[in-house]
Amino acid sequence: MVGETLRNLLMIAWLLPLAGFAVEIFGGFWGSRKSRVAAWMSVGCIGVGFLCSLSALLIWGNSNNFWKVTHDSEHHAEAGHAEAGHAEAGHAEAGHAEAGTDQHKSPDSVASSAASVVLGKTVFSGTLYSLARFGSLDISLDYYIDSLTLVMFTMVTFIATCIHLFAMGYMSEELTEEFVDHSAHLSNGHHVHRPGRYYRFFAFLSLFCFSMLGLVLAGNIFQVFIFWELVGICSFLLIGFYTERKSACNAANKAFIMNRVGDFGFLIGLMVLWTFFGTFRFGNTVDAKGEVVQAGLFQMLPRDETGNVLRDAASGDVKLGAVTAAPESPSSRTIPYSLLVVAGLGVFAGCVGKSAQFPLQTWLPDAMEGPTPVSALVHSATMVAAGVYLVGRFYPMFVQEVLLTIAYVGCITLFMAATIAMVATDIKKVLAYSTISQLGYMMLGLGVFGWGAGLFHLITHAFFKSLMFLCSGSVIYGCHHEQEMPKMGGLWRKMPITAFTMLVGVIAISGLAIPGLVNWCSVFAFSGYFSKDAVVATSLAFVKGNPTHFLLFIVPLVTAGLTAFYMFRLWFFTFAGKPRDQHIHDHCHESPWIMTGPLLALSVFAAFCAIGGETGPLYRLITGDQPAHVAHGIAGAVGSGELTLPGHEAIHAVHGTAGTLALIAAASGTFIAWLLYGTTLVNVAEIKRQLSGLHGFLANKWHFDELYDGLFMQPSHVVGQCCVWIDKTVFDGIIHASAKVMIFVSKWDKLFDEAVVDGFVNLLGNSTFAVGRSLRVIQTGRLRQYVMFIVVGVVALFAILFTTFPG
Amino acid sequence: MNGESFLFTVFALATCLGAIAVVFSQTVVRMAFWLVISLGSTAALFFLAKADFVGAAQLLIYVGGTLVLLVFGVMLTASGPYLKIITSPGEIIMGSCVGLLFLFVVFASLDGVKWREPSVAAMATGNPVVATGNTLRPIGLSFLGSRPDQDLISDGDDLTPGYLLPFEIVSVHLLVVLIGAAYLARAKRRPVGSG
Amino acid sequence: MTADLNSYLFVGAVLFVCGVVCMATKRNGIGVLMGVELVLNGANVNFVAFARYTDLGLDGQVFSLFVIVLAAAEAAVALAIALNFYNNHLTIDVDRANKLKG
Repeated sequence: MVGETLRNLLMIAWLLPLAGFAVEIFGGFWGSRKSRVAAWMSVGCIGVGFLCSLSALLIWGNSNNFWKVTHDSEHHAEAGHAEAGHAEAGHAEAGHAEAGTDQHKSPDSVASSAASVVLGKTVFSGTLYSLARFGSLDISLDYYIDSLTLVMFTMVTFIATCIHLFAMGYMSEELTEEFVDHSAHLSNGHHVHRPGRYYRFFAFLSLFCFSMLGLVLAGNIFQVFIFWELVGICSFLLIGFYTERKSACNAANKAFIMNRVGDFGFLIGLMVLWTFFGTFRFGNTVDAKGEVVQAGLFQMLPRDETGNVLRDAASGDVKLGAVTAAPESPSSRTIPYSLLVVAGLGVFAGCVGKSAQFPLQTWLPDAMEGPTPVSALVHSATMVAAGVYLVGRFYPMFVQEVLLTIAYVGCITLFMAATIAMVATDIKKVLAYSTISQLGYMMLGLGVFGWGAGLFHLITHAFFKSLMFLCSGSVIYGCHHEQEMPKMGGLWRKMPITAFTMLVGVIAISGLAIPGLVNWCSVFAFSGYFSKDAVVATSLAFVKGNPTHFLLFIVPLVTAGLTAFYMFRLWFFTFAGKPRDQHIHDHCHESPWIMTGPLLALSVFAAFCAIGGETGPLYRLITGDQPAHVAHGIAGAVGSGELTLPGHEAIHAVHGTAGTLALIAAASGTFIAWLLYGTTLVNVAEIKRQLSGLHGFLANKWHFDELYDGLFMQPSHVVGQCCVWIDKTVFDGIIHASAKVMIFVSKWDKLFDEAVVDGFVNLLGNSTFAVGRSLRVIQTGRLRQYVMFIVVGVVALFAILFTTFPG
Repeated sequence: MNGESFLFTVFALATCLGAIAVVFSQTVVRMAFWLVISLGSTAALFFLAKADFVGAAQLLIYVGGTLVLLVFGVMLTASGPYLKIITSPGEIIMGSCVGLLFLFVVFASLDGVKWREPSVAAMATGNPVVATGNTLRPIGLSFLGSRPDQDLISDGDDLTPGYLLPFEIVSVHLLVVLIGAAYLARAKRRPVGSG
Repeated sequence: MTADLNSYLFVGAVLFVCGVVCMATKRNGIGVLMGVELVLNGANVNFVAFARYTDLGLDGQVFSLFVIVLAAAEAAVALAIALNFYNNHLTIDVDRANKLKG
């Protein structure tokens, strides 16, 4: 069974980091603080996980004839990139055809239409372990494996392996019994001295990987929620890794609280789904005989041939295609359409928090307080990817109102974050805002019906963003924890590998390409171009269908230019030009091999993983099990206000246009960046001075922190002060008064105790003592006297007897 | 007054006077002498009451055993040849008064007792086995668990249990007492100079 | 004076009272022991008398035998105690044994 093999492999990949965590946390407790064992164990766990995931991916492909190589693409296999073995031919359609014939359908279910969600044989779902059962609610550990799961697994484990290796070098300062934290001060002005936490860092990393992999593997939404929170906790632990620093604590709290806001919506969505769908599972629940007992969430939402959600004409409710074993009630469940929207928005709210979308984006830049490898992990493979992944995973449940919300949220986020990134000077802050911006791209792509495009961008972005973060980590390490870009400059001579790999990442994220250079593809470009191009093309197709939402195309196009601008600004600032701070420049050095090695490996992937664009292997892998209604698009009825969602053909039609426009934007952004920062032709400070109002606005992050401060913090402070006043006057008064009454009562009680109770007891004791003392005289110790007493006693007894009973 | 009454009167007087003499003697040796008179007369009274074996045991154990023991005690504990530990006359008088009072009470209660009818009927003859005076064999049998005195006069088939178990217990008791007495009385190694 | 039950009992009573008075007045430890013997003999006289003048059978005689035996044992132990007392106090005066004075 392929499914069982895949399940076992992925479970190994999933559970190994947990085992690693358990061993490391205790090993660190009992072991030496100077030992690298924890790190090697952690790397081993995640590395083995990567191998398992990779083999699972290969097995999955084999079982679906995915790798069947066509002749015209065989030279790709020789191109030398790691996924060269993943062949290129278009067998996705064949896979779908097979999948379509094999799906489980209820004969009388509306879900049986071709446009309904296809659960093919490439999707494997089942239950690992049943945790609890409340009525009909089954809380269990499920798995749901499709191509997206496998790709995510491979991506997460690979990037995590690289980051673990990098962290071994980066965190080596912690390999000491006494670590001096120069950023944390005690009250007496000294630096904080503490034992190194090398082992703890790697234990947390392992737990983080475990949580993320569990989230990806999860087969029901409850499980998703559990791992969702675990990911949040791990990010909390790692962002606040330097707990002695006030800013790190604040950042960790901020990340956690912001996520709670989103999770509130997530819980609401969860409850709505449970109430109306009656199950948490994604896939069908199958009994021992292979019959479907309970349809999964993804199979229950009926869609017509065009992909629209089927609604009851009269009530507007949605009949759910619940496939149950009971024949008399095949589809008795209905859900009001509005609540379906609420459920979708609720789940998306959770994703907003986790993926740092507008308006909950403020935690992500602060999360830079964590060690740089953590930032890399959080920003590429795990934390923020979780939100996008869940939107993709939940795609069958989203109706078009929700999709439009997603698109606009992504649109706002990507523009806002890009503008802030343009003026940020902290190297990690620039990358953080670029992450938010790119996440906005993903959300936008998903929102405009580009399911594949959004997730495509997720994967490619994971590679080049983790690369760039590790590069920045390498820079920070080399510059002895200097993060301000204005103090750097000209570093490429000192750290050539870092500069080169960073350039690869910058080009990738900017989406630069060289048109028409190679014959087998229209352009030669790094991964970012393809994925961003896909997103932009989808949004263009969407805007063509719905001209009122033109902003959804214009904004990402402009932002593509901004992206190129701020990323090249970062590179020029850091690596090119003349050294601005001679001291830092003199002391900086290239990082050791254990750090540059992962950079090189990641740069290969960042450059080439998306080779072939939307006909390439990665894209087809991701979309191997895409929701069925995505492929054809949905045509909205004219004048009904419904959205027209573009299918693959519509997107393909505008692909060239979009690609060209995006490339022009990116190239112009790059040029401006070069003009401003790469040369000395333009005085940047002058421009900054002239645009000081705008610059201040952007540098203050659109005043979001102040806005939230005014909106939430100050009112809660006022409320808090009111509560304090009430506490101090009313409640404290009551308590003090009752305390005084109690003291008064106790005083009287004391008098009573001392006089009556103690008196009685003392009287008893004293009288006993007195009697004993008087009787003491009789105890003469003289035998003969005792005999006399006996005799006299007997005589007296007889006398009493005779006088009492005479006769 | 027949012979039995005469003998009873003589021995009863001897017994009582001996006991009184014991009370009023001032030296231990004289007390022992009067005790012999009193206990021997008691043995004679036992013979008169047809308890031959008990009388014999009284003579052997008390007069021949216990009294010799007492005399040994007197000799071992005597500080001087004719040591007297004199009791004050007041105490003797008071003790005598109390004793007389006690005696009066006992006599009064004995006088007041009305014996039960069956016993009164049997008073002339007593138990037929006991009345023969030859009680050696029945006592021996009773120590082995059989009771001819009871079984011969009762009509039922129920047999009366004997004194086998008390006999054994007393035997062991005696053994223990002998060992204990020997332990207590053995010569201790005393510190030099204290006696 | 006829030999009937009450006569024996009177003799026993006299013996008993003499024994008790002996115990109460003698300062000599051996004298006290003799008083005890007298008391026991008084009891024995009663037992034997009841055995003779009732239909209770041999019980009284057997009991008196036990009493004799136990008296002998008691005398042995008591003499041992007396010897120890003498060893410790160099006298046999029981008035010196007042350690239990309250």
